[in-house]
Amino acid sequence: MSSTGSSTVAAVPPVTEVPPPPPPSRWRGKAIALAFLTPAIFFLTVWVVYPAFRTLIRSFYSDQGGNFVWFENYEALFTDEQVQTAIKNNVIWILVVPAGVTALGLLFAVLTERVPWASAFKVAVFVPLAVSLFAVGVIWRIMYQQDPDRGAINAGIVAIQGIFTEQGALTTAKPSTDELTGSPQGGLRLERTLAPGGVALLGLTAIKAGELPAEPEQAVTPQAIPDGITGVVWRDFKPGGGTPGEVETDEVGLGGVTVKLRSAETGDTVGSTTTEKDGSFAFEGVESGSYRVAIGRETFAKPFQGFNWLGDSLITPSLLIAFLWVQAGFAMVITAAGLAAIPRDLQEAARTDGGTEWQVFKRITVPLLAPVLTVVLVTQIIGVLKVFDIVISIVPSSGRDSATVIAVEMYEKSFSGQNRFGFGAAISVFMFLLFVPFLIANIRRFRREN
Amino acid sequence: MRKHRLLLLLALLVGALSLLAAGCGGDDESDEGAAGTTEAATTEAEENISGSIRIAGLWTGGEGDSFKAVLDGYRAKYPDVTVTYQPAGEDLPTILATGVEGGNPPDLASLSSPGVIKDFAERGALQPIDFATEGILENYSQSFVDLTTFDGKTYGVVFKGANKSTIWYNTKAFEDAGVEPPTTWDEFLAAGETLKASGVTPYSIGAADGWTLTDLFENVYLRTAGPEKYDQLATHEIPWTDESVKEALGEMAKVFGSDSIAGGTSSALQTDFPTSVTQVFTDPPKAAIVMEGDFVGTFINTETKAKVGEGANVFTFPSINDSPPVVVGAGDSIVMFKDSPAARAMIEYLATPEAAELWAKRGGFSSPNKSLDDSVYPDDTTRKLASELAQAETFRFDLSDLQPAALNDALFTELANFVKNPADIDGVSSKLEAAAVKAYK
Amino acid sequence: MATVAEPGREPVVIDEGVATRILRVLRRAPVHVALAVIGVLWLMPTIGLLFTSLLTPSDAQAAGWWQVFSEPSIVTFENYANIFNDEGIVGALWVTAQVTLGATILPILVASLAGYAFAWLEFPGRDWIFLGVVALLVVPLQLSLIPIFELYNATGLYDTILGLVFFHSAFALPFGIFLLRNFFAGIPRDLLEAARIDGASELRIFARVVLPLGIPAIASLGIFQVLFVWNDLLVGLVLAQDNKPIAPEIFSQLRQFGANLEIIAPAAFFSALVPLAIFAMFPRYFVEGLLAGSVK
Repeated sequence: MSSTGSSTVAAVPPVTEVPPPPPPSRWRGKAIALAFLTPAIFFLTVWVVYPAFRTLIRSFYSDQGGNFVWFENYEALFTDEQVQTAIKNNVIWILVVPAGVTALGLLFAVLTERVPWASAFKVAVFVPLAVSLFAVGVIWRIMYQQDPDRGAINAGIVAIQGIFTEQGALTTAKPSTDELTGSPQGGLRLERTLAPGGVALLGLTAIKAGELPAEPEQAVTPQAIPDGITGVVWRDFKPGGGTPGEVETDEVGLGGVTVKLRSAETGDTVGSTTTEKDGSFAFEGVESGSYRVAIGRETFAKPFQGFNWLGDSLITPSLLIAFLWVQAGFAMVITAAGLAAIPRDLQEAARTDGGTEWQVFKRITVPLLAPVLTVVLVTQIIGVLKVFDIVISIVPSSGRDSATVIAVEMYEKSFSGQNRFGFGAAISVFMFLLFVPFLIANIRRFRREN
Repeated sequence: MRKHRLLLLLALLVGALSLLAAGCGGDDESDEGAAGTTEAATTEAEENISGSIRIAGLWTGGEGDSFKAVLDGYRAKYPDVTVTYQPAGEDLPTILATGVEGGNPPDLASLSSPGVIKDFAERGALQPIDFATEGILENYSQSFVDLTTFDGKTYGVVFKGANKSTIWYNTKAFEDAGVEPPTTWDEFLAAGETLKASGVTPYSIGAADGWTLTDLFENVYLRTAGPEKYDQLATHEIPWTDESVKEALGEMAKVFGSDSIAGGTSSALQTDFPTSVTQVFTDPPKAAIVMEGDFVGTFINTETKAKVGEGANVFTFPSINDSPPVVVGAGDSIVMFKDSPAARAMIEYLATPEAAELWAKRGGFSSPNKSLDDSVYPDDTTRKLASELAQAETFRFDLSDLQPAALNDALFTELANFVKNPADIDGVSSKLEAAAVKAYK
Repeated sequence: MATVAEPGREPVVIDEGVATRILRVLRRAPVHVALAVIGVLWLMPTIGLLFTSLLTPSDAQAAGWWQVFSEPSIVTFENYANIFNDEGIVGALWVTAQVTLGATILPILVASLAGYAFAWLEFPGRDWIFLGVVALLVVPLQLSLIPIFELYNATGLYDTILGLVFFHSAFALPFGIFLLRNFFAGIPRDLLEAARIDGASELRIFARVVLPLGIPAIASLGIFQVLFVWNDLLVGLVLAQDNKPIAPEIFSQLRQFGANLEIIAPAAFFSALVPLAIFAMFPRYFVEGLLAGSVK
């Protein structure tokens, strides 16, 4: 009856015969086990163990396969710059993602507990898991485009800004000559000081088509007036370039620009006016003295255009965000399940004992959730060490040096034209070895539980 | 005991499988090869050629259809041969890499880089096509044959060409700025300044796709350093730290000012080639000029609202310091992985003007075949660019495509870094030289 | 209206004043609002994908997808029409369906058998072998691509649906066996003992007792596997050629110089609908199965 091998053979009269066959149960037990296991062993051996073995062997050969090179490929691991960057990046991923995903999952799981329409929210958060990782990469690559006309994130930032700040009328304009000093961001001013009776010429170029006046009017240099300062703000450009600094025909006046009059000694603003449609403006009733004319920076104000997500400094954080977007759903579902399994009375008891929500959470809920959270954490760590698709599809080739990870390096060295299979194999083995600490941890946990 | 036996069985299984795979991998090619050489003598009996061949190419979609039209011409000639076209698109390097490594490559394939052809040839993966060289020389200039010749053997026929000494522009932007297509580099730079003043950023750079940067470098270098130095650099006879390289980089830097390129430097680094073209033809355009090859024309027609001739036009890459007219070009060659009469016939067929015409008349194709009557091209722009290529007095192949893959990659990365920091000419050239030394070892 | 039921009586209806109800909702309001905002933000990228798929290439290149709100008329279904007209894609969908089906059923069967063996059958070295199997969890499938490619070429499995099914099944096993073994271990011993006493063979016990109890875990394993295999790109790329699954097929359609959004966007969106439909149908099993696999 027992299949563990203890022999309960009934007493047999001593006869000189062949010894009795081993108890059928023990032999049969092992055969059955073998039968149950054979399919799995077969598949795992051929598809997983054998290739792993071969890769290990391959890593000791040269890239083209001909020569046995011992550990040369492994040495290359530590000297190859790109591999070094990859390792560094993977470390960043490991530090941020598993904890982040687990935390997000916990947060969502807890919040959705109390909400009746939780399933709708859960579906929304789960959708990213259904989209293939390659498509995820494509979506985020587009969203991260720096140009607010193309990238959704920066477009959103610009739109929100637009609620609070005014955009200037001439965001791309620059002075056409050296006579105007300063910068558009800080404001431009005419260096030459003026006294009443003076005329100021403020020429601007590089104005983009969308910001030119809708009904253009020829720029006009106004007459001087004895007790005032006049001038014109105009687009100092005509097809072919024209002569900078001179108001010529076909050059358009810029209306609606705020011009300021400042005292040359004190710098205080003493007057402000707006240009007419032909660009001309006039300050009247000006006391004698020395002045400068300036165009304030509000005219050129360009709202913050958003971040450079795909640039070297932000590329890895951008990747992390995209990855979190995908994996949070996984964590949330699992954690929510774990949460649902916690008996209500434990929490109620703690509450009636006078514990705050936070205490209940910390002392009761989280410890009971520990097994679930561990599963999430471990799965994420393994996933992060293998991360590949999302990096390949989001990172532009100029960013590869900053954002690369180990799995990408393995692929690049082996497959994409370089054909360095020996080195690629060594990288694969290295990846595998990285998991050894987690293996040991799992083994220990397993042993403890048994 | 049973446990040990099980482990032993497993070990044997693993060992056997390794031997099996290693053994079987090599056999296919040698069998094919043996059969091929004995039948080679009978190629006169064309109609008797039969069999089945697979040709992998990077042309998909509309281009794939055009190539299939070319293959139809072959099928008409050799009705007993089954030809399968495998459009691979972005897959092609992976398919070829794993095919060769695993012992089962396609019979023929298209390859754009003579550097890669050389890599494969040195590994013994390609069959030489010397049987066809005579026929090819009737229709191509010697320089095209030399392109795919290594160690005295020729490995590919250049079927599709690309003229890369072209610059495309937004006609309205030019009109508004009062700029005419320039013929010299100084005029070109001045035009850039004028465009800037008119309110349009002059240059569109797709730095995320490194090859756009190498194309620019090659066009400049060929004109500043001349064809002899170009050849020397291409074979690493002169180092990348040579003065001529630094001079060319210095000229390039003149178009890399952050306010001269669309979106500024950081944006250009994320802009891929397709976007770098389309953004020139939006309304309003993000830039006025994109410096890339003749294939941009087809792209404009299909991906933007502009059409070549209506909103978009092209001019030849300007001369620098009075350089004579030269053309930098590229081409897709067809190479042979497995020898057979049918494959040989395909190589010979693709070198004929008849084959080229089947695609040329559909547009989007420049043939380096000088026997092709250029009246078959569907429009003037294509005809002009194609004949500039085929009849060029001085033609040089895309230098980066001639390099080993590792150096090619380094070129992409380092030139992108150069866009980031155009003042660091010395730094870029030393890094390139370091990569070249490693690659040419 | 809140109701309270007392045993044996009709439920007593407590009439909450409108004010009380409003207060209750308001207290929860921050949570509701936060979740609503998060939910919408979370969906945005996918919505962006949807709208991008509804634009022509030149429109998609010209400006962001939100232009559809200002100009609804530029929405078009031609991208979808184009990819479905392409017989390559339709064929690939069929291939993917077969591969996904096979690569879900097969590992479920194999992992169930093995999981049960590790949980309830006695044999020497059982725990060590189990640990070995779990260790294989960390082997990345890129590792196997070239050796298996060579193997398939030698054995004729290259470019076959069966070849893909086997590969995906094998790589599903470490997680599957881990999950199912843990789940089966939670089955009450007496149930199995009772069946044994009744004289049932192991196979019968397995099929009649263990499998039915394991359905939640099996269902969740199935769902993860469907998600993974359906969307796979790399394996199909290397091991298939004329019979490609959907992702490599799309990949090979990408034009060398094209922006290709008009192919990628509709294909990706459509591809995502299949697993989503499955998730929508089986949420309960999904959740229960995962729970049981992780919490003892």
